[in-house]
Amino acid sequence: MSGYTTSGAQQPSTGAAADASTIDIHSRAVSYTCGDCDGDVQLKRGEPIRCRNCGHRVLYKKRTNRMVQFEAR
Amino acid sequence: MTALSAEELLKRKTLKVGVETVSNQQSTDFPGHWPGESHEWDLEHFKQNARVEFVKEVSPLDITFSLVGVDTSFANALRRILIAEVPTLAIEDVFIYQNTSIIQDEVLAHRLGLIPLRGNRDAIRWMKWYQKDEDVPDHEPKNDENCVRLSLNIECKWKEGGLERAKQGVTDPNELYENHSVYARDMSFEPWERQTEKFGEDPVRSSHPDILIAKMRPGQQIELLMHAYKGIGQDHAKFSPVATATYRLMPTIDILRPIVGADAKKFARCFPKGVIRLDKVSAEDEQSHPEECAGKEGELKAVVDDPSGDSVSRECLRHPEFAKKVKLGRLRDHFIFKVESTGQFDSDELFLESVRLLKVKAARIKRGLEAVDR
Repeated sequence: MSGYTTSGAQQPSTGAAADASTIDIHSRAVSYTCGDCDGDVQLKRGEPIRCRNCGHRVLYKKRTNRMVQFEAR
Repeated sequence: MTALSAEELLKRKTLKVGVETVSNQQSTDFPGHWPGESHEWDLEHFKQNARVEFVKEVSPLDITFSLVGVDTSFANALRRILIAEVPTLAIEDVFIYQNTSIIQDEVLAHRLGLIPLRGNRDAIRWMKWYQKDEDVPDHEPKNDENCVRLSLNIECKWKEGGLERAKQGVTDPNELYENHSVYARDMSFEPWERQTEKFGEDPVRSSHPDILIAKMRPGQQIELLMHAYKGIGQDHAKFSPVATATYRLMPTIDILRPIVGADAKKFARCFPKGVIRLDKVSAEDEQSHPEECAGKEGELKAVVDDPSGDSVSRECLRHPEFAKKVKLGRLRDHFIFKVESTGQFDSDELFLESVRLLKVKAARIKRGLEAVDR
C-alpha cells in the first residue's frame, strides 16, 4: 500500500492547478476525508495512506478552494 | 363623418360569445373599412377615449386595473414591454469558491440567478447597464454603478447533541443539524463605494426570503460571491419584473328575458360568485314582462352585478332554459390587466414604466422615419 504514497497521490486533482507544483511539496500536508469515520486526515509526502483515527485505508480528496465562475443562466 | 349611435358603436365593439363559437373578433375601426367613415388615428379621439380604471388592489405587488378605449395592439404592446423590456436587477455571475453540497455548481448558479431581488428603488434606478462584451466601444469596467455584489457563505454543522439524537433514531433535520436548508435570506449584500450610501437602510436582498436554494448535511458548505447586473426579460426570464402580466377582455352578460324563481338561483350558480345578484321581482317587472313575471312579485330574479368577474365558461348556454334568455359577449376595447410584480418594483410603477418605454420606442421610430424622409 505504501507504494501509492508517491508524487502521484500528491498531484492536484484538477490537473489545471500548475501553481501547486512550484511550491515545496515535501513539507506541505494535504487534507483528506476518511471514508469510514468522516474525520479529517492530514497527510504528508511518503506517509502511509491510513486514517489516524480509525485506521481505514480509503481516503477521499477534498474539493479545492479554487474559484470557478458560472453564468447564472 | 356622421356621428354613430352609441348602440351601433357598442354592437361593433362587442364580441359575440356563442355556445361553440366566438364571432366579431376583428376590430373594424381602421380607415377604409366602413364606407364614408374616416377612423384615421387621431390624438384628440385617443385622449377622449383612452382611460385607466382601477378595479381593485389586492396588494401593491398584485394589481388589477382596466385599460379602456384603446386598440388591442396598444394593450398588447404594453403587456409585452412589461414582460420583456422593463429593466430589473438579477444575479448574472456566480463565483463559486466552495460547494460541497449535493447540488451541482451549474444548477446552483442557475437557481441563484432566478431569485428575485429587491432593494432601494431609487438606487436600482440610478444603476446603469453593464456591458459583458469587453470589445464594445466605451466599455465600462465593473463599478459601483453597474454591479451589485452579494455573497453566500454557509456551512452545515451538527447541533449540540445532534449526533446522539440521531443514534436514538431522531430523523427530524431541524433537531439534528444547523443550516441544513439554505434560504434566499442567507445571502448578504456587499455594498461598495457609493452603494453603501445609496441603498442605505434598504439593502439588496431577495424579495421572497423563504426561497429554498439548497439542502445540506453536516460537513457540507457553500461559499460563493455573486454579481448582479441590470438586464431585461428579452435577454433572460430572470430579468423580467413581472411574474405574470396578462389581460383579458371585459365580459358582457345581457339578460334578454327575466330569469325568475328557482331558475334564477340555478342561473347564478352558472357564474363565479359575485357576477349575478338575486333581486326581488318588482311590480314594474310584472307589467313589462307579464309572460315570465305575472303573479311572481317578491320572488327572486337574476340581475347582472359585476360581469368583470365572469370567467366566460359559457356554462349558462348549456342549459336550454337559459340559452334563449341570455347573450354573452366581450368588449374589444376594455382590457382587464393583471400585473403581478416579482417584488423589485410595485406593479403600478411597472405599468407607468412600460408606458414610458413605449413612448421612447415611438420616438425612436419617429426619428428613423424622419431620417428616411430626408
